[in-house]
Amino acid sequence: MVLSPWRESTRAKHYNCKNNMRSFRVGLLLGWRQLQRASLWTTGLIVFVMMITFLNLVAVSGILVGLIVGSERAFEQQSIGSVTITPLDTEDYIQNSDVIANILQQTPGVVDFSVRYTSAGSITADYRSRQSPNDEPDQISARLTGIDPTREDAVTRLSESVVEGDYFLPDDTNALLIGILNLERYSENFPDFTNSLTAAFPGDTVLLTIGSVSQEFVVRGIVDSKVGDVSSAIFIPERELRRLIGRASDQADRIAVRLDQAVPPERVQSQLDQAGLADSAKIRTFDEALPKFLIDIKNTFNVLGTFIGSIGIIVASITIFIIIFINALSRRQQIGILKGIGIDRRAIEIAYVFQAAVYALAGSLLGVLIIYGFLIGYFERKPIDFPFSDGILVAEPLTTLTRFCVLFVITLIAGFIPAWMIAKQNTLNAILGRN
Amino acid sequence: MTILTPIIAAHQITRRFGNGALETTVLKGINVEVAAGEFLAIMGKSGAGKSTLMYQLSVLDTPSDGSLTIAGVDVQQLDETEKTAFRLNTLGYIFQNYALVPDLSARENCMLPLLMRGLSHQEASDTAATALTSVGLGHRIDSLPALLSGGEQQRVSIARAVALEPKILFADEPTANLDSVSGQAVIELLTTLHKNGQTIVMVTHEREYALGCDRILHMEDGQITRTEQLTK
Repeated sequence: MVLSPWRESTRAKHYNCKNNMRSFRVGLLLGWRQLQRASLWTTGLIVFVMMITFLNLVAVSGILVGLIVGSERAFEQQSIGSVTITPLDTEDYIQNSDVIANILQQTPGVVDFSVRYTSAGSITADYRSRQSPNDEPDQISARLTGIDPTREDAVTRLSESVVEGDYFLPDDTNALLIGILNLERYSENFPDFTNSLTAAFPGDTVLLTIGSVSQEFVVRGIVDSKVGDVSSAIFIPERELRRLIGRASDQADRIAVRLDQAVPPERVQSQLDQAGLADSAKIRTFDEALPKFLIDIKNTFNVLGTFIGSIGIIVASITIFIIIFINALSRRQQIGILKGIGIDRRAIEIAYVFQAAVYALAGSLLGVLIIYGFLIGYFERKPIDFPFSDGILVAEPLTTLTRFCVLFVITLIAGFIPAWMIAKQNTLNAILGRN
Repeated sequence: MTILTPIIAAHQITRRFGNGALETTVLKGINVEVAAGEFLAIMGKSGAGKSTLMYQLSVLDTPSDGSLTIAGVDVQQLDETEKTAFRLNTLGYIFQNYALVPDLSARENCMLPLLMRGLSHQEASDTAATALTSVGLGHRIDSLPALLSGGEQQRVSIARAVALEPKILFADEPTANLDSVSGQAVIELLTTLHKNGQTIVMVTHEREYALGCDRILHMEDGQITRTEQLTK
């Protein structure tokens, strides 16, 4: 009896790479033909489920993150700019802001910049009509922001945020713009704002008071923005503000810099640092200046989106498991016969894993086409209208690739387990349909 | 009958199912030897144990007791994976219900075990086409099983088995689902293969089909009751 040499040679053969390749070839042939002969409706439905799962995985977290990214984008474009310059921690103002402004004008990549001055003050709307000094005045405390109207509009497009009245005229002096958060008629959206003006409309005259100095201003317009800093501010021409508070032009509070879109903020930051401005002011890119709570919310939304997407993955994996299980179970006898005629179990498992892989690939590919070919553009054109931001869909390619890989691997596992369960059954029992 | 160099040597093959009081012994110490090149038929009434015996001899099942040597290999020493490889490399099968993969064409059905053996796609395709032509299906090689008659499907099944050039061909009631004309054609094919030196073990309950064999084992109640040597 020649057992040992045969066994050894078979074992060696079986476990070598060639045999794996044979199983792979046979598995692919079986799997591909099963896909080809399958009902189009069934295949379409499975691919649709995979596509929905992929969209759920990528788009849900993408929209959640997009709410914050939309908010960040608005904050960058309408408030602090791509590069923002603020006073050093040890100083009250930016030192030599005129010099900085001159350097900015010559810095490549800088489209424009807005030098701002701020001060606390109050606005009284009914100071002319109030009957008795004992009546409660229609008055608010407010943050006053002095701007160069032309440059500010070039940087933040503030004029586009005017919802009542007009933007500043070129030669405006005693005029101001009021953010909607200071007005009672807009406060229904913001019920916590109790300190608001009742009667302040474009064309009205209000009294602006800073310390002991008061001056009449005409309300030129009302500003509405999803950036809180803008909607809560009172804008007045910077020369008027500086005159009222006695501030020199080279003592600015912030310089917001708008860059060419192709220019990385880090490069401009580096150029300004090299010009020696770091000794006079804090120069930060938008990302560096971003409030930490926004970053925290973004991370939280990302986790939340992943969690919601994970539920989708579980549903998809169960779907694939059931589909492959039913498919393999209904072919149990055929699988037994294949094993009977010498087809390796792995070839049968590969056939089903291959089918699962095709489903996952086709569904994900459709999902990618929908996300990158339609949804991202759609949400850019029609952002989701949230009170604090215009929500967009954020789907960074690397994140999408990672989520696809997760979905793909889980689908393969969901396809393998039922195939393995059926293929490992006793060959003869499978052939005869016995349990 | 003692054969000097049997290709199958089964001694005291016993097959039991169930446990305890429910235990049933289907094969009771069967001794069989099959010579290389022999055409052996196993006959018996339903429940006699003829199919169970064939499953033991064809390594599709494992005997509860006894020893089984096929082509010099003690098959009871093999694990499941090795048995699968052994079946691929040594044995061929023709099943009662044809056992074709419905998604594959006749050619691809024949190609499967050839690819598993390591033939290239082209080699497997050519070999499959030759085998199908040899069973008279040269004009249907790319047809799906569903488009073939029962007799044609069984001929594909035979082509798949013989394409591998197995040492032993097992046929489990290959004519059971066929009409008499198709059944006779299948038997003629098997007879031709046998004349070319193929060892065949066939289970059948139809005596007329067994008459072309060298020997018939008659079974009853899990035992071989009679061996009939046929003279041609």
